[in-house]
Amino acid sequence: MRSPVHLKLDLAVYGVRLGEELAKERIFSAPASARDFASRDVELILPEDIVARCPVGTRSASKSPYLLRNVDDQFVIEDDSGERTPVGVVPPPRFYNEATTAGTPMWQVGTVHAGYLSIDPATTCGFAAKGAACQFCTMQNDTSATGAAPRTVEEVLEVVRAAFDEGAAEFVYFNTGYFDSDDGGFAFLQPYVEAIKKHFDTLVALQIHPPKDNQWIDRTYAAGVDALSYAIEIHDPVALAKFCRGRSEFIGRQRYYDALEHAATIFPSGTVWSDLIVGLESLESTKEGISALTDMGVLPILSLFRPLDETELREHAPPAPESVAPVYAHLYQAVRDARINVQFMRDLGYAITPIEARFFAGEDAKLDVAVSSFYRSKIGSRAVRGLSKLRRRLRVKTVSDSFDSSRL
Amino acid sequence: MDVVVDTRPLWVILLSRSTRFLKIALGLFVYWAILAMDRPPDLPPEGQRALAVFGLCVIFWALNVIPLMITSLLAIILISWTGVMSHEEAFALFGNSAVFFILGAFILAACMMKSGLSTRMSLVFLQRFGHSPRTLLIAIFLLNAFMSFFMSEHAVAAMNFPIIAEIVAVLRLRPFRGNYAKALFIALAWGSTIGGVATLLGGGRAPLALAVLEQVTDETPYTFLSWMLHTLPVVLTMLFVGYLVITRWFPVDVASVKDAEVALAQKVHDLGRTTLEQRAIGLVMIATIGVWIVAGHELGLANVALAAVVLLFLLRLVEWRDVEEYVNWGIILMYGGAICLGKALAASGGALWLAESTVGAWAGSPTSVVAALSLATWLLTEAMSNSAVVALMMPVGLAIAENVGLAQSLIAPIIAVPAGLAFAFPIGTPANAIAYSSGYLRLRDLIFPGMLMGFVAWIVFNLAANFYWPLLGSALAG
Repeated sequence: MRSPVHLKLDLAVYGVRLGEELAKERIFSAPASARDFASRDVELILPEDIVARCPVGTRSASKSPYLLRNVDDQFVIEDDSGERTPVGVVPPPRFYNEATTAGTPMWQVGTVHAGYLSIDPATTCGFAAKGAACQFCTMQNDTSATGAAPRTVEEVLEVVRAAFDEGAAEFVYFNTGYFDSDDGGFAFLQPYVEAIKKHFDTLVALQIHPPKDNQWIDRTYAAGVDALSYAIEIHDPVALAKFCRGRSEFIGRQRYYDALEHAATIFPSGTVWSDLIVGLESLESTKEGISALTDMGVLPILSLFRPLDETELREHAPPAPESVAPVYAHLYQAVRDARINVQFMRDLGYAITPIEARFFAGEDAKLDVAVSSFYRSKIGSRAVRGLSKLRRRLRVKTVSDSFDSSRL
Repeated sequence: MDVVVDTRPLWVILLSRSTRFLKIALGLFVYWAILAMDRPPDLPPEGQRALAVFGLCVIFWALNVIPLMITSLLAIILISWTGVMSHEEAFALFGNSAVFFILGAFILAACMMKSGLSTRMSLVFLQRFGHSPRTLLIAIFLLNAFMSFFMSEHAVAAMNFPIIAEIVAVLRLRPFRGNYAKALFIALAWGSTIGGVATLLGGGRAPLALAVLEQVTDETPYTFLSWMLHTLPVVLTMLFVGYLVITRWFPVDVASVKDAEVALAQKVHDLGRTTLEQRAIGLVMIATIGVWIVAGHELGLANVALAAVVLLFLLRLVEWRDVEEYVNWGIILMYGGAICLGKALAASGGALWLAESTVGAWAGSPTSVVAALSLATWLLTEAMSNSAVVALMMPVGLAIAENVGLAQSLIAPIIAVPAGLAFAFPIGTPANAIAYSSGYLRLRDLIFPGMLMGFVAWIVFNLAANFYWPLLGSALAG
């Protein structure tokens, strides 16, 4: 029997077909957001609590060797050899059917992925506006939001409250596009982050692009952000320039690494991460990228390239899942050698986290798995939030504090 | 919001934060230990209690456990609760004329700053004299010293800092590279510091020392002019020494200050003509200083200061909200409490017992007492607020003076002058902290030349006390 993470990789690449009995079920008709491909996936809980997001209804998914079925009230994934793996299916949250006071459907403001409420208040990406969008990104051809006003802080708070009240999400994750500003977009996001921290006892993660000045990274931490990502996506500079012209031209690869290196000195271990896409550069180059990140204390998160229908790379062949196993094994070993905390970045349906990569390295990582279970528990989650607050309180000083403490 | 993220290991941060509780515990322990010790026969019960309060305040002031003014308020509360003084007596000391003199001086300085008069003076002075690197350096040094004669040195340093920072920027001087920027910022700090000890207006130290002296001895021996006469040789000598140290330690390494000249000329041009308001405030200020010098003793320094304030309001040259914005109210509270504590220590016999049992044995002559007190005061003021140093050293100094036959009236300058001569550490005085905050100075740029300056100042001060003061009729032996 394949390990659940090997199955997760297969499902990410090939997608899943739905059994006839499921085609009309509501849970597989989640609202489609043009800017959030993940919301059109189905979220599955594989054995050992591995979360996986699988494309359904796409071109490649229609040819998938995997079939999702409901057999005797139990969801199973059935492969073409007939082997069945029991899985759980996460239904879309109820608040997707609600609207904010301003009338915006809540699913347009935030979508839930395995406990994270993902929000992009900006609704647009500066790279797309400059005609330099990443070629794998669904935003490149999305003009629906061009010129759209950003979500208001009040709207975002309403959605967070709805998601938390329902128990659909526990954390908030802001994911925005490129801002042509010195702060990398944080000045725009700061009011949202501060409002959420003021009203909810939760952790906030942020994925933005690097600011020009590292002082903004310090401010990002001081404002209440608990985890931070500057996604480099591709380590090889030639491939980066080819597939992510905006990243390469307007920011530059080195700035990503410099900003990540500084962030790793500011944020707790394991809370600064960068995404690398496996399949858009040579596997050796991805391995080098993993090493470069772990050497500076940054956690690499590896997602597998998926050719989405509405992107320029729809014909670009994804890597064969079996060929990428050494990369994930390297990920596990590199993170372990660098002693980076692997507990914060978990339950990511779209990517393989370092702790999940243990399956490729042939390790049990029993201690990490046990600690992970504790982190998932209510008391563990509370402890993490409390420690995060305490750490910030100890580490952050404002200049006005210094003036206050100066002598007469 | 500018933030700084402390990246030291968490255990180090935790340890450094927990020292606050240790400091509080230390203060409380000292308070308890003094109260709990067997009372010596020559120490009255009130003296023991006053010493306990004093011990607690010394710890809190020295270690900056809570803001200085709050420690002062704590002193008043404890003096009253422990029965050393009635609460009516304790709070009445807030009405001391020194407190109102300081308040008046602050308001006058606030008017000068608010009207832009002080900035105009700085810019015009620098434009007039700062034509070469050397003359610009001297101009900055002397300007800060001179302005600190009649404004708080802290305010002078803070006011002139942006001007110096702009000069450094237009000269394109880089942090830590070259000497000239360092020399300019040190001239700003040291000029303010040296000038600040010249008169009763350069800071609160001298008025506070005089207030404690007055409460303890019922003497008011100094006029505005006589104080200046006592301090001026030290000030003039230290200005000369300061210039030598700055230019030897940081030799001028720029060829021209043409760009700074242009920038200063532009700034002066932007100011336009001197306004009627600025002229009027300038006149009131000159008149006030004149009255302080000529008739300060008869009319009362505080009365003159407050009368000038009233005049400014009558002429509508200032509004109350300006006063609220510019006046450091905390220092008023600090001085009220410090005066109360000084009086309590002296009246209860605690100060005398402390002096006898600590330095009484070796304090053989007035000269050695002046040397020891001024040395201790200088070293303390490098590490803690100079006002706090005055507050804690004055009662002890007065008691020692009584013991060795040193004129008690001299304790005020013996404590107040060295308490203002902090040259070496950013925490010693806000002027140093402001210069250090420029980012152009390394700590060692302040510490080594600063310690040399402090040592020379101590020698110069002792020479003046022993050989110059007697010429003014202030012989050490009382």
